[in-house]
Amino acid sequence: MVQFFQQLINGVSIGSVYSLMAVGYSLVYSIMNFSNFAHGGVIMVGSYIGFYLLTSAKVPFPAALLGAAAGAGVLAIIVERIAYSPLRHRSAPFLYFIISAMGASMFIENFVVATIGPTFKTYPAVFSRWPIEIGPFYIGRIDVLIFVSAAMCLLGLVYFIDRTKLGKAVQATSFNHRAASLMGVNTGFVITLVFAIGGLLAGIAGVLFGMKYTVYPQMGAITIKSFIAAVFGGLGSLPGAVIGSLLLGIIETLVSGYFSSQYRDLISFTLLIAVLIFRPIGLMGKVTEEKA
Amino acid sequence: MASTSLPKVVKLGWIGSLTGDQAVWGQCEFNTVKMLAEEVNASGGLLGAQIEVIGYDTRGDALEAVNAVRRLTSQDKAICIIGPNASGQAIPISSVLEEMKVPDIATVATNPKVTVVDGKVKPFNFRVCFIDPYQGAVAAGYAFDVLGFRRAAVLYDVADDYSQGLTEFFIQTFTEKGGQIVAKEAFKFGDTDFRPQLSKIKAANPDVIFMPYFFKEVALSANQARELGIRATLMGGDGWPSEVLLEMAADAVEGSYLVNHLDFDDPEVAEFKAAYEAKYGRKVELNGFLAHDAFAVFVDAVRRAGSFDPVAIRDAIETTSIKGITGTINIDPNTHNPEGKEAAIIKIEGGKYVFQQKYAP
Amino acid sequence: MEWFYVKGILIQSGINLTAVLGLSLLTGFTGLFSFGHAGFMAVGGYAAVFAGMRLGLPYPLALLFGGLVAGIVSLPIGRLTLNLKGDYFCIATLGFGEAIRLILDNVQTFGGARGWPGIPVTTDLFNVAVVAIIGTFVMVRLVNSRHGRNMIAVREEELAARTVGIDAFKYKMLSLFISAMYAGVAGGLQGYYLGFLQPKMFSITKSTEFTIMVIFGGIGSITGTVFGTLLLTALPEVLRAFAIWRLVVYGAAVIFIMISRPEGLMGGKELSLAALRRLFGPRPKREVPS
Repeated sequence: MVQFFQQLINGVSIGSVYSLMAVGYSLVYSIMNFSNFAHGGVIMVGSYIGFYLLTSAKVPFPAALLGAAAGAGVLAIIVERIAYSPLRHRSAPFLYFIISAMGASMFIENFVVATIGPTFKTYPAVFSRWPIEIGPFYIGRIDVLIFVSAAMCLLGLVYFIDRTKLGKAVQATSFNHRAASLMGVNTGFVITLVFAIGGLLAGIAGVLFGMKYTVYPQMGAITIKSFIAAVFGGLGSLPGAVIGSLLLGIIETLVSGYFSSQYRDLISFTLLIAVLIFRPIGLMGKVTEEKA
Repeated sequence: MASTSLPKVVKLGWIGSLTGDQAVWGQCEFNTVKMLAEEVNASGGLLGAQIEVIGYDTRGDALEAVNAVRRLTSQDKAICIIGPNASGQAIPISSVLEEMKVPDIATVATNPKVTVVDGKVKPFNFRVCFIDPYQGAVAAGYAFDVLGFRRAAVLYDVADDYSQGLTEFFIQTFTEKGGQIVAKEAFKFGDTDFRPQLSKIKAANPDVIFMPYFFKEVALSANQARELGIRATLMGGDGWPSEVLLEMAADAVEGSYLVNHLDFDDPEVAEFKAAYEAKYGRKVELNGFLAHDAFAVFVDAVRRAGSFDPVAIRDAIETTSIKGITGTINIDPNTHNPEGKEAAIIKIEGGKYVFQQKYAP
Repeated sequence: MEWFYVKGILIQSGINLTAVLGLSLLTGFTGLFSFGHAGFMAVGGYAAVFAGMRLGLPYPLALLFGGLVAGIVSLPIGRLTLNLKGDYFCIATLGFGEAIRLILDNVQTFGGARGWPGIPVTTDLFNVAVVAIIGTFVMVRLVNSRHGRNMIAVREEELAARTVGIDAFKYKMLSLFISAMYAGVAGGLQGYYLGFLQPKMFSITKSTEFTIMVIFGGIGSITGTVFGTLLLTALPEVLRAFAIWRLVVYGAAVIFIMISRPEGLMGGKELSLAALRRLFGPRPKREVPS
């Protein structure tokens, strides 16, 4: 029983890492309706920015976090301008966006390999790495921070989208780009804003991921799990992305712990696909009506 | 004299990962080979000729490795190739080497089948590292006989050939000696969190956890093991040694043992390390030492052959017996492996790699 | 350029083309986006090598066997996932690809993650060319047939296609089955070319490379697929001089093509003798419909 609860803690913690990455990704999806595969690259760059701010510039942690978020936000806008915006203006199908995103992801990752180098970097210890012991259970300090951050990002975004005027513009754009622009919404600005926010979230995710694990050029690859989780939770739904992530983390952990770590992904993918068969729009996906 | 007919420049090929997941190791190998070639060139060259190193990236892909070797052997007319740094690329290039009759000296391709398949030695494939069965047996033998452990757990990378190889032979030797494997858990390359598997291992209460994979994952899993309150001794193979491991997880790996190719405090090793760091501003990874020895085997073979003919070089490599920085390299013509190369057991003490002893199972 | 080197690139192009042709049918003509095609390639590759080395089938039959097994494996996968839309289908195929790799990593009788060495090297430029040319020919015939047009109808407007009596699900299944067969044959070609199979060869990266080739060539064009594949297979080789900057340039090239020619190389058009004649030759006389 002790082991079961420890595994549950492990699962929630892994799921929180996925969800931190999935929120920004899902936000972009909800507006643009395509999977932004460059998100992982932006997270990685954010992580490097945070690392160098802490080690070379020696700024305090909150400043490093802000710097990383800002830097990643700027990068996300640049990616949007170069790789997506020309496609948007021609109303190209989503396939082209995805390929362009893959090109961007390849570019960013290998640019870092070629300039900074392929070596893994270690974040300086901002928090004690030693976990909090509660009875027989071990809970990592960074895990708590990541969980809280993911929850705050989610709540902040939901507030922004539901309660602010700009948020309404985002919602309108998400619903229909053309109609929104006819209603006087500056959709170009809204899209830039959404990418900027997605980038900010990526920067925060990058720093926290780097602190918990390590920083390396291929770390963006872990976002594939967030992508899966976001689909599972229902694409375009922010709470869905978070819940999907937590569930994926817990499922993976329990499969490893109680069935087979060798076949973990096989079993967890099969479960996810089974869910999709019964609920083809994910757990909390938007029901989109087919065009007649 | 024959030297008048010898060319002024000869080309030495190198293949490996300059990009992708293995770039840390590949870039180090390529840098090492380039640096050593410059040294030879500065001191009069090889049989009077300057060595030009041509290196191609494989990004860890077998098809790319084959293309790179095709290019090196035909277009570039390389007389010998050093690399690659993975068995998955060293195995498929052999048919190209045989067709073009150019020898290859692999650095850390540890799968037995790189040089021998179905009992037949591949004529143009060589290597300077020891192989998986040997390393697995060394680790298991040392854990059982010297350290006296009886209950072992293994955590391994199911998607990695090197990790699977070491796991198999560790378990085989350890159980043959009468030890018990209390847990065998896997993760998949790309994972960063190992706590589900470690929690399970913890419940099995092992004396030692064998971790046959590369140092990034070692650092992460070692840290997480300690976070979960696991106090068992950790043990690993030649994927461990790196300064980066100590940066990432010095406390967690304190007291761990690992199997290595060399003693880091050896004066010759230290000299090479210092030269590399001065030139590139980065720490040398383990692959650099093996690339160093592969290069030494190449230079020695050319000198003994007295010719730049790839087949003559191949014949000379078969009878190699030199002292490299990773130990004595006696190539066995029947296996093309460096036979009798002893493993060095290293303990991590006080945040340093401390040489314990040379050990053969 | 030395022929020996060029030959290697051509063989690789032929192998890629065989796989990409199938994917072109699925993505370009039926509108389904697969992230797991390398998985079908793996199934076909291991099945073909199994047929050749363990069952003693001759090389051409072994390749066919590989293609067939990959096709058969696609049936239950398709049955379960083809009703999923866009990214949901995409995630299902991604999961399938990874699951196949994981199974092969674990199955020790095929060598597990350490791979299957010692496969006789049988694939050469001649048989790759034969397979790729037959494959292209069959595919051209297929997409120009009634079935091909129905698939395009499914891609363009699934609901509309259904209302005019096209069984959309059946066409999606057919498209997936054929594309899996092509990938399976390509896997066999690759196994017998390298003399070695390893699950690592069939990663997500491989699947995405194939998809990039399809889109790069232009969806809905077999000519585009052929040119896209040849160009993108050769590109990394051409970029060798860039060393560590190679994939940076490759990534930039992909973005550049997408934003400058978002309809892809051929933009859905086919290059045919008739089209060439129209372009260069005298105007054809208007034929009287019979």
